Amino acid sequence: MEAMSPTFAEVKSKAASRKTVRPAATPSLAGFQAASVRLPLCFVLVGVLSLLVGGGFLLAQPDLLATYHYTPHVLAVTHLFVLGFISSIVMGAMYQLVPVTLEVQLHSERLVKFQFAVHVLGFAGMVWAFWDFNMARVGIFGSVLTFGVGLFVFNLVRTLAMVKGWRASKCGIASALFWLSATVLAGLLLVGTKFWGFSPFLPLAAMHAHAHLGVIGAFVLMIVTVSYKLVPMFTLSELQSERRAWWSVSLLNLGLLGAFAAILWQSPLKLVFAAVIVVALMIYGWEILAILRARNRRTLDWGMKYFLTAIALLIPLSAVALVLSWSRLPMTAFTMQLENVYGLIALLGLVGLAILGMLYKIVPFLVWFHSYSRQIGRAKVPALADMYSVPLQIAGYWTFLAGLVVSGAATAWSHETGIRWGCGLLALSLGIFALNMAKILAHFVRPKIEAFTKKASTPAKTL
Amino acid sequence: MTTSPLTDELVLETLRQVIDPELGVNIVDLGLIYRFAYADGKLTVTMTLTTPGCPMHDSIAAGVKNILLGLEGVTDAEVEVVWDPSWHPSMMTEAGRRLTGTEIS
Repeated sequence: MEAMSPTFAEVKSKAASRKTVRPAATPSLAGFQAASVRLPLCFVLVGVLSLLVGGGFLLAQPDLLATYHYTPHVLAVTHLFVLGFISSIVMGAMYQLVPVTLEVQLHSERLVKFQFAVHVLGFAGMVWAFWDFNMARVGIFGSVLTFGVGLFVFNLVRTLAMVKGWRASKCGIASALFWLSATVLAGLLLVGTKFWGFSPFLPLAAMHAHAHLGVIGAFVLMIVTVSYKLVPMFTLSELQSERRAWWSVSLLNLGLLGAFAAILWQSPLKLVFAAVIVVALMIYGWEILAILRARNRRTLDWGMKYFLTAIALLIPLSAVALVLSWSRLPMTAFTMQLENVYGLIALLGLVGLAILGMLYKIVPFLVWFHSYSRQIGRAKVPALADMYSVPLQIAGYWTFLAGLVVSGAATAWSHETGIRWGCGLLALSLGIFALNMAKILAHFVRPKIEAFTKKASTPAKTL
Repeated sequence: MTTSPLTDELVLETLRQVIDPELGVNIVDLGLIYRFAYADGKLTVTMTLTTPGCPMHDSIAAGVKNILLGLEGVTDAEVEVVWDPSWHPSMMTEAGRRLTGTEIS
């Protein structure tokens, strides 16, 4: 007996008749290996917990957003968001996604375990030290964190080294890793100058330069790069132009390099480099639109809607960035608050919402993989979308957007009650998100497996 | 004429019980099964996945093998995952297109 699937037979006669079937690069069932599921999941759980704690802080202390951001408590909460929430999830996701994106095996899993412990100790200690504004302790825990980032970067660089050639995705990930390393080193340097009381740069300028390295270099570049793989994957489309991908990644790197120097030296060229970054993001947006136009899956799921909305927030974010980059911008109470709005849109809006969207993809997958991957073909297992509530996901989406708009507007005008309402909505959205995550994690504890119907083992008819 | 109880329909119907968890649709209607051959108790399936490097690679291929081994008359099953020709949504059946909300341009 030899047969072809009916659809394949038709396709083959049209297009593939000239080709012979070629085995996959890894014909064994070993396939491409990411880190084992538990480790990325640990990073993700720490990230979600940090997000909930950070949201709680903002709800309890709305004045954090109503005043200028250079205060101990704002720095503590910012580092909780950036290191506890964003970095933890980015690290967990990268251990999972880089092997998928680049189709290679992760260099070392043992290193991931060790790095997880170092990372949690480092960031938790830093948040505590910032809260008390104890620079010596910030330096100690910052060094621990830097060591952890070093392990993460080493592991991924060794993984990247297995990939031949330079695709835009490889270049994007490599440069994001470079900027991440630069960010933590710049942070340590910043703490050192604060501790020893010597700095050739204005502390505020140095802090802003450090923040831009992290947000644009590590996070935005990472989002841009992985979305060139994930958006086509989840919408059944393809990258439309490798050249556009290259331009966006290259200009982001160039713009960030210049912007970092311009911010540090308070140069009027800041506006020029901000414009370069905006052009890079416009090219990125152009490519994402092209991918979406070419998609075969017309209906976008809500995880993708979260992610694409986050990308759309690059538009207001870029507008605010250009305004703030203008060297003659008067320093008023409003423009100083605009910096808070800028940070809020960048961290919670762009990176936060993108991460929430991706978590609706990553967490079900990790849990599914743990609970059901060995059951597939033996029993009926749920699809990823069956593991959480879509109505809750939709409610979380709208509440988050409402919370972001209200808290953003209230922050601009230092309106504490408005900020409390906005943060309340954001906290509600995060609560909904946590509920959905709990529903997914329930499959980890108690998998829902049903037996197949009898026909799988009983022939319907004989030849 | 063979003494094997297997039929093409039975194999496809059996494989329909294996789903791609991301898309929530079975692998036959997704058009992932390219061909299969049966000889002397051994069933060999040539299939693909929607994306090279798909993280479900191992699970789906192992699932196909598991379910085929449950068929009467199958003593061995081999699953070969190939990337050439690469999968395209046009390979889906009508049912697959409907379930994934796919339009073919």
